[in-house]
Amino acid sequence: MSLQSALERLATYRANNTRASQDIFRNGLLALQKSSFKKLGDDGWACLEQLTLASIDVGRLDIADQCLQLIADKFPNSPRVDCLIGIRMEATEPPETALKYYADILEADSANVAIWKRRISVLRRTGKVEKAVNELVQFLDTFYTDVEGWLELADIYASCNQYDHSLQALSHVLLLTPQNPFYVLQAAETAYTSEDFPLAIKMFLTVVDMTDADDSEQLLQESTPLGITVRAWFGVKLCTRRIAQNANLKSLSNTSAPKNLELLDELATERLRVAYSSSGQKGEIAKGRQEVFAWVATPLV
Amino acid sequence: MVSYSLSENAYLKIFFHAAKHPHLPVNGVLLGRQTSDVVVIEDVIPLLHHWTSLSPMMEIGLDLAKGHAEAQEMSLVGYYQASERLDDTALAPVGERVAQKIRDQFNDAVAFVIDGDKLGTGDPALLPYLPQPSTTLWRPCIAQSPAFTTGSNFLLAKADSPSRAITLVRDHNLHEKFGDFDDHLEDVTIDWLRNSACRVESSET
Repeated sequence: MSLQSALERLATYRANNTRASQDIFRNGLLALQKSSFKKLGDDGWACLEQLTLASIDVGRLDIADQCLQLIADKFPNSPRVDCLIGIRMEATEPPETALKYYADILEADSANVAIWKRRISVLRRTGKVEKAVNELVQFLDTFYTDVEGWLELADIYASCNQYDHSLQALSHVLLLTPQNPFYVLQAAETAYTSEDFPLAIKMFLTVVDMTDADDSEQLLQESTPLGITVRAWFGVKLCTRRIAQNANLKSLSNTSAPKNLELLDELATERLRVAYSSSGQKGEIAKGRQEVFAWVATPLV
Repeated sequence: MVSYSLSENAYLKIFFHAAKHPHLPVNGVLLGRQTSDVVVIEDVIPLLHHWTSLSPMMEIGLDLAKGHAEAQEMSLVGYYQASERLDDTALAPVGERVAQKIRDQFNDAVAFVIDGDKLGTGDPALLPYLPQPSTTLWRPCIAQSPAFTTGSNFLLAKADSPSRAITLVRDHNLHEKFGDFDDHLEDVTIDWLRNSACRVESSET
């Protein structure tokens, strides 16, 4: 593994905000040992921060402390470093110590977003879920555009079986980032779980619309569904079944069920068959074809 | 009471699933056969790591896993999960619901929660849960002999599976080749039902 390729990998993970700690640690350690971070300028410090977090994640606190020392020497009194110090503290100190540390910083600067979010995550982790929710709601009142915050709120509600509340939190995410199909997908699956099947199928179809080989000239029939489009078609198929089987359909969002249910079901079946018949991105064959074919062949009612 | 035996490949796959997503909850189902009073768990099928508290892909994954199990003349005999936090070993409402669903079709179903504190020690890192008689509540199984020790109703087909799992993850990064239903739904060429690349031949002892 060359230093150049290691640094490129680190940059990609940073850009995508991927938490691939084991790989980041491997690549970052290589760069640290060749002490090349300082030559990289601003990027180098971002790499060090990234390696600090990954080291804490994989339990190599010795490396984390080494990085943290370098960063803290260069940027004394930086709020970003304060946050790193807090995360390092969470790894070994009791939660009360970390909460106290965060409270002191917030007292001096109540608008420190990163520290406030850490505090909420510690509350949740230590089982004070109600307090975490209250703080998070207050936080989102102040920083409405924080997508990560809304996603966290949706996740907390879902883990407590409060799917309607979870869906509400997600609706803010969709307003803030309407172009991201993953969030629509998450909303669709949440709607399904809360048994609002008409809303769920509508959202699954939106995902298909957003992701299906969009701008190409190809006709729908000629393209092969790839990536999360396949997941969305699975969702459509499941919803058509649920809607067909459910005589007293309720929808909290007052969404009406699609009129051409049989046609939608047929289309989903056909799309899934295509997805599992053609060779995929790398020219390999889809796995589990027999099982999927049997599953889609089950009649609607 | 029935006893449960876990094959080496089943143990390894559960371990790989947890090792691949250390900061996320993961779950999956156990495949096996029942012979008189022993449930032999031969394989596992990994399901989710994205949104484990949402149900649509879980329902589909269960259906497909069941179809696959039946084609191999096996049944779904249980459920496993790992939490995102090391110290959290609760089955939680979601886990209970899925385990109960499997139990509806297989009376002696069992659930395992991964014990994060033991994962790196070489001891068996699974906590068995069993349903309380005539309820839908699941409780950690408390017996005179702790699970996977001599005299327990839970045993490993190969006693060195836990240490072998650690070697395969640390030295060979085998967990990086492992894929679950969530992975498969992003790339249908991922072999989530079999995970052939992660299957090992029986160890030489």
